[in-house]
Amino acid sequence: MKKLIYIFSVLSFILFIAPACNKKLDVLPQNSVTPDQIKTSSDVEALLFGGYELLQNYGAFGEQFMLIPDLLASQNQVDWVGTYYEYGDVQNKVIVSNNSIPQSIWSNGYDIINIANTVLDKLSIVDSADKATVEGEAKFLRGTIYFELVGLFGKPYSDGNASSNLGVPIVLLPTYDYDSTKNKPARAAVTDVYTQVIADLQDAIGKLPSTNANFRADMYSAKAILSRVYLSMGDYTNAATQANDVIESGNFRLTDTYDKAFNNNSNSSEDIFAIQETNQSNVGTNNQGIATFYCPHAGLPAGQPVGRGDAQIDPGYFDYFEPADFRGTFYTQGTSIAGEDGNYTNKWQFFYKAIPVVRLAEMYLTRGEANLMLGGAPIGGVTPLADINMIRQRSGASTLGSVAASDFIDERFRELGFEGDRYWTLRRTKNDIDGLGYDDNALILPIPQREIDVNQNLVQNAGY
Amino acid sequence: MSKLQFLIGILLFQFSLLYGQTKEITGKVIDAKDQSPLGGVTITLKGSKGVAQTGTDGTFTIKVSAKATALHLTYIGYENKDVEIDALTGSAVITLQQSSKALSEVVVVGYGKALKKDLTGSISKLASKEIENFPAPSFESAIQGKAPGVVVTSGSGKLGQAIQVSIRGISSISASSQPLYVVDGLPITSTSVSDGTNDDTNPLADINPNDIESVEVLKDASAAAIYGARASNGVVLITTKKGRNGQKTTIELNVSHGVSNPARKLHFLNAKQYVGLMQQSAVNDGTYDFNNQISGYNTVDDAINDYFTSIYQPILDQYSLGTDWRNQAVNTNWQDALYNKNAPNDQINLSATGGNDKTRFFISGFYNTQQAIVINNTFSRYGTRFNIDHNATDKLVFGLNLAIDRSQLNRVTNDDAFSTPGQLVAQLPISPYLDPATGLPNNQTLYPSGIYDALYDYDHQITYRTIGNAYGNYKILPTLSFQSEFGADILNLTENEFAGKESQDGNGVGYGATVISQSVSFNTNNYFTFTPHIGENSKLNAVLGMSYLQNDYQHGYAQGNNYPSDAVKNLSGATSITGASITNTRYTFLSYFLRASYAYKERYLLSLSGRIDGSSRFGPSSKYGVFPAASAGWVISDEDFMKDSKALSFLKLRASYGLTGNSEIGEQQFRSLYTVANYPNLPGFVPTQLANPDLKWEKSRQFDIGLDFGFLKNRLTGEFDFYTKHTTDLLLNTNIPYTTGYASIYRNAGTLDNKGLELALTSKNIDGAFKWTTTINIGYNKNKIGDIKGQIIESADGLQRAVEGQPIGVFYMQKLIGVDPQTGDALYADAQGKPTNDYTQAARMVVGKYTPDYTGGITNTFSYKGFDLSVFFYFVTGNNIYNAAGRFMSDGFYNGWDNQTTDMLKSWKKPGDITNIPRTGYYWGSGTSNSSEWLYKGDYLRLKNLTIGYTFPKSFTSALKISSARFYVSGINLLTFTKYPGDPEVNTNVVNNIAGGEDFYTIPQPKTITFGLNIKF
Repeated sequence: MKKLIYIFSVLSFILFIAPACNKKLDVLPQNSVTPDQIKTSSDVEALLFGGYELLQNYGAFGEQFMLIPDLLASQNQVDWVGTYYEYGDVQNKVIVSNNSIPQSIWSNGYDIINIANTVLDKLSIVDSADKATVEGEAKFLRGTIYFELVGLFGKPYSDGNASSNLGVPIVLLPTYDYDSTKNKPARAAVTDVYTQVIADLQDAIGKLPSTNANFRADMYSAKAILSRVYLSMGDYTNAATQANDVIESGNFRLTDTYDKAFNNNSNSSEDIFAIQETNQSNVGTNNQGIATFYCPHAGLPAGQPVGRGDAQIDPGYFDYFEPADFRGTFYTQGTSIAGEDGNYTNKWQFFYKAIPVVRLAEMYLTRGEANLMLGGAPIGGVTPLADINMIRQRSGASTLGSVAASDFIDERFRELGFEGDRYWTLRRTKNDIDGLGYDDNALILPIPQREIDVNQNLVQNAGY
Repeated sequence: MSKLQFLIGILLFQFSLLYGQTKEITGKVIDAKDQSPLGGVTITLKGSKGVAQTGTDGTFTIKVSAKATALHLTYIGYENKDVEIDALTGSAVITLQQSSKALSEVVVVGYGKALKKDLTGSISKLASKEIENFPAPSFESAIQGKAPGVVVTSGSGKLGQAIQVSIRGISSISASSQPLYVVDGLPITSTSVSDGTNDDTNPLADINPNDIESVEVLKDASAAAIYGARASNGVVLITTKKGRNGQKTTIELNVSHGVSNPARKLHFLNAKQYVGLMQQSAVNDGTYDFNNQISGYNTVDDAINDYFTSIYQPILDQYSLGTDWRNQAVNTNWQDALYNKNAPNDQINLSATGGNDKTRFFISGFYNTQQAIVINNTFSRYGTRFNIDHNATDKLVFGLNLAIDRSQLNRVTNDDAFSTPGQLVAQLPISPYLDPATGLPNNQTLYPSGIYDALYDYDHQITYRTIGNAYGNYKILPTLSFQSEFGADILNLTENEFAGKESQDGNGVGYGATVISQSVSFNTNNYFTFTPHIGENSKLNAVLGMSYLQNDYQHGYAQGNNYPSDAVKNLSGATSITGASITNTRYTFLSYFLRASYAYKERYLLSLSGRIDGSSRFGPSSKYGVFPAASAGWVISDEDFMKDSKALSFLKLRASYGLTGNSEIGEQQFRSLYTVANYPNLPGFVPTQLANPDLKWEKSRQFDIGLDFGFLKNRLTGEFDFYTKHTTDLLLNTNIPYTTGYASIYRNAGTLDNKGLELALTSKNIDGAFKWTTTINIGYNKNKIGDIKGQIIESADGLQRAVEGQPIGVFYMQKLIGVDPQTGDALYADAQGKPTNDYTQAARMVVGKYTPDYTGGITNTFSYKGFDLSVFFYFVTGNNIYNAAGRFMSDGFYNGWDNQTTDMLKSWKKPGDITNIPRTGYYWGSGTSNSSEWLYKGDYLRLKNLTIGYTFPKSFTSALKISSARFYVSGINLLTFTKYPGDPEVNTNVVNNIAGGEDFYTIPQPKTITFGLNIKF
């Protein structure tokens, strides 16, 4: 009997402990939230802000949206001397389809698009006072990313076949569950992507305030990007109009000197939109991030953090400058981490600084060039010559007496070198790039092989 | 008992004395060797009925009738013995001999013990003598090659690194394929919790190998299924030493000292060869340029001269720091700078063990310090263990196994960092080691000199580990006992990192970081063991119980830079904090388990086991999994028709089939998660994980058929196993289109098969005064990935992948098929298999694999008088090694000015050269991207261990008042036979299912010579 009691009590102990433990199997995440915890207006805004963080990623404006086009159009601009062969392959136009760079641009881009789509889907929870701004920012993010993606993965709009050339898949709905990943979108035509970009940026302009807190995108951010979009399409009227709106807003002014436009703790007076950085939120300081590659590894004053110095100024770049032009002297001699001596642009020499995405100087050059191409009465009432001279004068370059389209191409190179502009400019103006025709297959990135592996509806770019 | 019963008892007793002619025999059973009393010995009578058991003090009393002729004694682990009753007088002392037959040894199984003879599952047992005094931090190194089917891969000669152990092949793609480790019944943390930006370290190094009594590796489903959801990759049971009843207190001292050097190194150019290859490369570049009219040189000589003077010579001028490189004024062997010469290791171990019928104990203390062969890498630890068992009453036993230790690992950076010493080989032999201008280590080297990091940086990882398990066992009935265990594994790790301003990692401003990790597991096991008497010929052993495991893991770090000076090395000196975070995770397992083993006539064996596991790792719809297994055995040699066989002394056929699981994918994988995003002034969330609420266990169905045999009175014994392991519902981290906003999702998709053979043989070749024993074990495994739904899962570097129909981790890259004798161009196979010199047109294909076919070991041990000698060879075949650093150290300068391996001297030089090494050249070199050019056969044979020992004669030791003393010299990795130019035992990826067998400036294995002394008092 006594033994039976033992057995009974032990068994009941086990049976007692078991249900208590059963509840222990439900463990909630402690470091993240689940989607059902997105319940309030500020939760949706937090998701939107996540989109800014991804915009800061090295796969976007933290590095590759500038560095990769510049490596593609590297002649007389930039030389890759680093050991990361993925970048060297971009400069040498021997990219293989599993190169990690197209993959990071593509994946990070669609991550941002998914955030934008999620935010747009959840607009109904957003307080009415903030709704328009949140919607405008989400569309600004989405339109900007589609524009970058279609430019890097698709043939240039300027080649005349934009309606048949393949761009990138257009995804406008958020992904909430595994089932929705079974949808395998095909690449839309370049024109269709452009239509989406313009629609998003136009919507953004309509919804966004003229200024926004904490350097979030505002109406002029969207207008500035839209001017780029139109310029790349050769739509000079709209390009000039959007650029002119930005210039005439009075919200921005050129910095007194060229150097002050860079390496600022936050936006400079001429930054229309810029990526913010701090020592705890930045694009990377060791293996990625624009300053990591452009900042030399040796040769800087003591106490200044050093980079890898993998991206040097090509000596041919200096031929573009008159001696008096400050922009031609805006560099530092140094050595790369792999021991190569060379010159380094001062634009990206410090960590944790604001990264200009679009500057007012570009708006002047865009308006001037567009007006020149249009002829007739200039939009904004300022002549192309005045616009280009405004930019030249700031840096001490001589005042031009007359101006041709090619002057704008060169001036953009002087002013916007190492900011990712050269590639776009040469493509839309149908100039050769690194010895290749402007629409050469080798000048666009491959669709990441890994993406084709999981989505058979994607067609690889010719040449890969 | 009432008084009445007592009286009746006495009456009956006297009655039987008067009329039954019975007598009572009392006595004591002791161990023949150390005279310790043996409790629990079963005594039966021959010629009559009657049974008795010895008490914990070894004594027994048995009533014998006149018909009885002898006592028959049986005891697990000992030879049976018959004692003639007539021979017994007074209080008899009977000695039992420990069984020398390998087949009757006792093995630890999940939640119990069993006689090896009765086993129906596949278990490899390694005894303490295989593990003790091995000069490596962790016991896994010592079991390498000792158990068939258990492949132990130590990734490098760095100390304290994680070690990959695969049991019967890799059985998962995305989930872990490492076994479950259980110490004295307590599942312990075995995966790295250190700084995730450096290599994984090994929490098993916190277990003192000299405290280990035995290691049992549960390999098949029958043995492992009782660990259910965590058993797919096999289970390693570690049992620590205990005192024995009646054991005279023995104090044991082990002291050893050893030195280590690299076992095998790659060979690099000296200064003269380097300059020569530079000149050759200038010739190549100039000729190529001229022939292809690239720059428009007038003559080929102009071209060569211009290339040399404008490209190559400046490099030589710059890095020779003004020394005369033309006459090799400097010839630095940078490889020498990264190794310690005769890196010492010292171990001291002191233990005491003993016990009586009430209390048994084992206590130990140890101190161990070891320098790696690579600079700046040391491991030291000290700790104690206290194991005690106490019989409170005849029925209640309780005890405690407790170990506490502290270890310190001073680390170097991972292989893919300029600062790591392994990358010093890239520096130029014309670069002086010391800067002639300053007399300090040269900091104007091609790459930032790792010497500066060695001088100014540190990474100290300190671990405090407590592993304790307390138990109580109550004998409810003679046939039923209940055991309850409560244990905790507390791992507390702090890692302090600092990089001085002068070093590469200090970036000119100094860098520091502190990592903290706490992993605390709490576990309880509660189970009944039931051993009913169910008839003369039947034996049943049943176990039923439950277990609950909860692990809480906290990981945090803070990092900063901008130090005022190198003098303040703590993070407090970082004036700019660049990041800090703390994360917490928890997982839980609730399990019920059952095992019933039945033996009929000790000949027909049957065992059923099963476990139900519930885990926090899966969603509500699939929280629980059921893992059953069945096995059977037939001891053929006990059958009448075999009994008379002279040659065959033992033969057992066994087979098992069962299901085990795997859930090692980390936490919260079944949910959608939005993770905190940090953008200045805009705190946010980013979606990071997409839900799969149906996620469930990965399952392995394992079949095993085995034969245990002994010939010639068990002079030759062995085991042979064939197994298949079919894994389904793989926990596959499947890629989904990036256009969804996510990269991958865990799904149960795909299958993976492992098939293999295992053979273990022990032969006592000569057994006399001179003894010679040979032990051979061989494992063969064939791994094949089944339908993974078209998924392509690559390693991080894209060089290896999981491909359907192929073994896991094939090397997938461009294939070099030759070198064009006319141009020196590398020729690759294109998609049609035709040669092309255009790398972008070369097809990627399967060119090799890192998993071996055959692995095994051969040990010969000899002894004569006091001398013993053991020679252990280990081999691996069928695998490949990829030198991922080949594209820097063997690319002919195209990717940089790195010093080159000596095989580059055989590169193409002029039209007509037949070679397999393409043209060198900084500008126009060829064969410079990843391809099979740097893939090698990885087969090797290694003299893993050679030990010579001398045990001092008794006459000598007793004069010194010690009971025994042995001196030994042991060598590890003394000889290596391989086609790989470097050390074949390297893996820069440390522990990974898909990526393995890659050398990337990886530190080779050490060659160690140890002198040791073992004294028992």
